[in-house]
Amino acid sequence: MSRVWVVGTAAVTALGDSADVLWDELLAGTTGIRPLTRFSTAGYKTNLAACVPGLNSTGPGSLVNVLLDRLCKHLPPLPPDTLLIAATTKGGVDCLERVARGLPASTDDIPLPAFGAVLRRRLGLNTPGFTVSAACASGSIALGRGAQIIASGAATAVLVVAFDAVSEFIFSGFSALQALSHAACMPFDRGRSGLTLGEGAAALLLMSPDRASREDREPVGELLGWAASNDAVHITAPARDSRGLIQAIGAALAHAGIEPGEVWGVSAHGTGTIYNDLMELNAFRAIFGERNVPVYGVKGALGHTLGAAGAIETVIALRALAEGVVPGTVGFKDPDPAAVGMVHAAPTPLRGRRLLLTNSGFGGVNAALVLGGRPE
Amino acid sequence: VKVFVTGIGWAGAAGMGTGRGSTPFALPPGDLPPISRQEVFAEPDSRFGRLDAFSRLALAGVALALRDAGIEKWTEPRAVGIAASTTYGCTGTDLDYLATLGAAPGLASPQLFAYTLPNVFLGEAAIRFGLTGPTVIVSDEEGTGAAALETALDYVAGGGGTALAGICDLARPTRLPERAESPPGALFLVLERRPTREPLGALSARGRPGHPDDTHDLRALAGRLCTGNRVNRPDSCFHGTS
Repeated sequence: MSRVWVVGTAAVTALGDSADVLWDELLAGTTGIRPLTRFSTAGYKTNLAACVPGLNSTGPGSLVNVLLDRLCKHLPPLPPDTLLIAATTKGGVDCLERVARGLPASTDDIPLPAFGAVLRRRLGLNTPGFTVSAACASGSIALGRGAQIIASGAATAVLVVAFDAVSEFIFSGFSALQALSHAACMPFDRGRSGLTLGEGAAALLLMSPDRASREDREPVGELLGWAASNDAVHITAPARDSRGLIQAIGAALAHAGIEPGEVWGVSAHGTGTIYNDLMELNAFRAIFGERNVPVYGVKGALGHTLGAAGAIETVIALRALAEGVVPGTVGFKDPDPAAVGMVHAAPTPLRGRRLLLTNSGFGGVNAALVLGGRPE
Repeated sequence: VKVFVTGIGWAGAAGMGTGRGSTPFALPPGDLPPISRQEVFAEPDSRFGRLDAFSRLALAGVALALRDAGIEKWTEPRAVGIAASTTYGCTGTDLDYLATLGAAPGLASPQLFAYTLPNVFLGEAAIRFGLTGPTVIVSDEEGTGAAALETALDYVAGGGGTALAGICDLARPTRLPERAESPPGALFLVLERRPTREPLGALSARGRPGHPDDTHDLRALAGRLCTGNRVNRPDSCFHGTS
């Protein structure tokens, strides 16, 4: 089995198009959550979301096209044989909204695999790829799948691109489910009351070490372990006993060949909903015992970017490993009793070179990645 | 690593079938008939009727495949995974949801919204059959199911033991323009490392992802492995070993 290096990253979020600015703003505790102007929020639970500044669609095409245009400007050079894995929850659902309203719409943007094909052509990649959709774990499961393909030797270069845009479709749905927070979300806080939607895109170029060395590409980090699971309990609510997430974390650690004591930080899903956050905290306590591993979440700064979340959070986690510090959790002020000692509002030193990243989502899915710092 | 195909189930315009049944596999063009609970499950299932049409179709394919493999019944959760391909997914449900949104923003249906992710039927299948492995939609550009099959094969070969690979699509919503696409229907294959019943065939996790050969096209594979096709098409080539 080959090792899996990450040799390039890019991210477009509510905190801008630059990964450096994103990192600096996260460390400063900045939030990209603002009043939403893309559509009327009258009748919904909140008017807040974390939208990418200046992201607007002027024609009948999906907003995702514009988002991906901006992301593509920051991609590293790509070999033509790179396998593309796209990841999204709802892709061009904004075009379906237009269809439903009788407005002009680019219906080519609606099928699930649409943007994978568009991206592949735009980037000049000649290997047919595929699209992963696994709710809010789409990005991290796509990364695990890409890593698996590299590790097995079936490919030596894989580009994972994860994306989702804020649409009224999604916003109204989470509002109808009573899942949106009135105020900006407060992950792991005692007073949390729901999530805040966000949007964004991220790309990670994975390579085998042999190929990366041949092409003189510097690794920024490593994917050491990956696993996914299903709670098999409920389609929209997490398992109260955290069984699925515990299973996924255990399998990812086993895959990486490391013990829980070798993990030095956790990038949590941290949506800010009462039950998801508690489920995660219970899972981390079950895995790490009384040891207080620094846990952080970025959704108080970036909103919940759905299918893009796992990939954006991996870009940030790799930077955390490189810098030796994990960001504080924006919106976290008064700790949930289960978060005391684990979650912090301020940046926390990272005392080792391995970090766990988790996501969970509708359909009962859970995903866990074990990330390593820059290979020495 | 050899992986065995131990069950096949499908539901399409021409009806339902299983790998070991006498009906030849086919997913022809045409209108999908409504799927009732009685056609899929012998026992009452109060939730089935409340599912969206996409989930009912997919669940029928999963149930029939597990039954064909002899592993439908369960007592303890098992780390069985599912990888499925879809082109339109739950787009029909999305349009139904948008119709409720159009009435008034505050009246959008949370029940319908819960089924507007293409992977949610996988959660329904996981709950019904106690499947706690990875569940994911993996859609290739051509709609062959090859990427889903390769994902499931890797999971089984990597120690997962058992997984299903499938394709599922309703008919293209009439409000969307015509495009090249496969006929509607659901098809699922059960893949196992250590089969407990005589397998229908075998595969190896080989080939480069994204370059599906005939082996990794799920419809072609089902057409070769199903008993009904072999009996009724004696000139067909049996792929794999049993």
